[in-house]
Amino acid sequence: MNDQHDMSEAVGMIRESAAGIADRNDLGRIRKLRYSVPGFDRTTWRDMCEMGWLALRLPEESGGIGLGMTACCALMEELGRALLPEPMIGAMLAVQALDEAHLPSVISGEKIVLPVWQEARSSLSVGNSVKFEDGRISGTRQYVAMAAGADAFLVAVVNGWVLVEANSPGLSLEIVQTQDGGHYGTLTFDQVPASTISTTAPSVPLAEAALATAAYLLGSIDETIERTLDYLRTRVQFGKAIGSFQALQHRMVDLKLEAALTRASVGDAARIWDNSAGSARAHAAVSRAKARASTTAMRVTREAIQLHGGIGYTDEHNIGLYLRKAMVMAPAYGDAKFHRQRFAELTKELSETAE
Amino acid sequence: MNLDRYRLDDYNALSDGEFRTLVSEFLNNHHPKGIINPPKRLHWDEAEPWYMILSQAGWLAPAWPREHGGMGLSAAKQLIYMDEFERFGAARTPDHGIMLLGPLLIRYGSDEQRAHFLPKILSGEHIWCQGYSEPNAGSDLASLRTEAVLDGDEWVVNGQKIWTTLAGDADWIFMLVRTDKTVKKQEGISFLLVPMDAPGVTVRAIHNLDLQDEFSEVFFDDVRVPKTNLVGEVNKGWTMAKALLGFERIFLGSPRQAAHALSRLRLLADHVGVRGEPDFEDRYTQLRLDLADHESLFEESADRLRRGETLGADVSFLKLNQTSLFQRITELMLDIAGEDGGLLEPIGDNRDLNPMGLFLTARAATIYGGASEVQRNIIAKAVLDLP
Repeated sequence: MNDQHDMSEAVGMIRESAAGIADRNDLGRIRKLRYSVPGFDRTTWRDMCEMGWLALRLPEESGGIGLGMTACCALMEELGRALLPEPMIGAMLAVQALDEAHLPSVISGEKIVLPVWQEARSSLSVGNSVKFEDGRISGTRQYVAMAAGADAFLVAVVNGWVLVEANSPGLSLEIVQTQDGGHYGTLTFDQVPASTISTTAPSVPLAEAALATAAYLLGSIDETIERTLDYLRTRVQFGKAIGSFQALQHRMVDLKLEAALTRASVGDAARIWDNSAGSARAHAAVSRAKARASTTAMRVTREAIQLHGGIGYTDEHNIGLYLRKAMVMAPAYGDAKFHRQRFAELTKELSETAE
Repeated sequence: MNLDRYRLDDYNALSDGEFRTLVSEFLNNHHPKGIINPPKRLHWDEAEPWYMILSQAGWLAPAWPREHGGMGLSAAKQLIYMDEFERFGAARTPDHGIMLLGPLLIRYGSDEQRAHFLPKILSGEHIWCQGYSEPNAGSDLASLRTEAVLDGDEWVVNGQKIWTTLAGDADWIFMLVRTDKTVKKQEGISFLLVPMDAPGVTVRAIHNLDLQDEFSEVFFDDVRVPKTNLVGEVNKGWTMAKALLGFERIFLGSPRQAAHALSRLRLLADHVGVRGEPDFEDRYTQLRLDLADHESLFEESADRLRRGETLGADVSFLKLNQTSLFQRITELMLDIAGEDGGLLEPIGDNRDLNPMGLFLTARAATIYGGASEVQRNIIAKAVLDLP
């Protein structure tokens, strides 16, 4: 009971602290950063780190705050509401695998380290084409979000992680822009010197990143619904607020229901994860949450455009920013179909007996 | 049969785990075997033995306070009771007296009404049905027209009710009647108790889409009942009936129907041999995810009940979602059943392979207890604050 109280207090503080940096009422900064490189702000990054966000999940003896996924999801929700472009999800994944020696400069925000693990589209497992031999790595990895802003990369290899400085000879970075104003990097390593950092198994931090992404989407979903409701209450056509029309009301109810299911699913996954991190049940709960969040985010943001009518189709209106963000985040760390299948695999045994 | 060991002075003194074990033992030891997970709503002659066992154990009315003969369970214990009953597949008895009338009498009835009616519900002497809907007052219930006019010391009732569940089995009906036509429609409705054997009461069974006859029409032709059969104040019936809808709505939103249907879907899939086909597996997994997410949503509301909070209009989300999910599951059943999905009787006479029955039953779920469209209207106004 006391734990629960402490947790809700911690969550409340996180939400409050987030409001200053992740201001959902001012998307001006987000607009200015769009389609620039690296697409986010190092000053804001340092502010975020000063709040302790990057170290949220780390144990206190490593300079962290020692909170669980419930708290992490609360933070991610706030970031998602305000569409923050800073690569917090990736950086959090990386600090989970970093060693003590490298942590201080990273969690202070001085040095940005992003994880490099993905080769296949819509995946949640480390690609196997990158080879690490005799202190050097070779191969290609892709979909590294905000890669151009990293000072170093933490690269997943067989049996662990190695650190590569961004300016290392033999490392080339190609970027492609994404709809939300950010970018993905494709990294090609040609005999790049790398140092072994840890043997942390990647499955746990990757699942946590998938859940964090679901929570970020949840925040975006809620904000999209609130913005759309505001519009329906104020936009007048045929002499009435259009929100008085039943056809539109029923659509909004269905969207709100999907959002409520997403909130329940993400909340459940975070609780289950905090009780039994890394168990099959916890991994299944993460997949359930990410599948729901990805599907709902696309549906809600898509319908929000329709409900806004013509103004929703302009780039000047902010509602479109939420659709573009969903287009990028819904497939990140595994899309809905991927997570449905992963859920089915993880619960195969359970479903044969329990239902 | 000695059921004394299930009669406790204070069930809430047990830990949740102990109470769950007790409920589970009770069901395993005493629930009649032939009516577990019945394919349709049981009539009184089929349900009576189970009703009387619950009565003898003192387990009929989990939510009623002790002083009125109930179990006096806390919200948390009630949810455990409900959960175990659902998990076991316990048959639902004709429970309108227990679920709806009892709580209303306890809150609004006179001492005489409570003393007279409550014990008879608990003993099985009075089986009640509910007279709310009318041919022209379904979703728009407040426009009901069945009328009660005071004539000396008696109310004279004329009109018609419809969709009355198990009316043919009932000894009494509690009903909403119009007692004032001159005021706003919600403000001219009263709550009246009428014996089904009163002269002028006629019951006609309705055969539904599933060819079952759990619903009836009930006609009232100059039916006379004593003035004292009115509950609470005259013209306050609407407010009273509405105040007690909360628990019914969470009941209608419980995952039980959908969970049951999903287990039948799995049996059917094994039977027709579609397990492993990618199209089936993806749709099946989606439904499993939908059910798991619904359970999470349901638990959020249940948690609020457990903390002693009252549920707001957002409890309508549960009913809306559960019933739509229940339907989607039965739709996939028909999709995989092929020609067998058009059979009138269960496949191979196996009552667990009856996708047709479930599919047809599911049609009703989005209509009764407030149609989905009405639920959406309520949520739009009360939760989304739309004009």
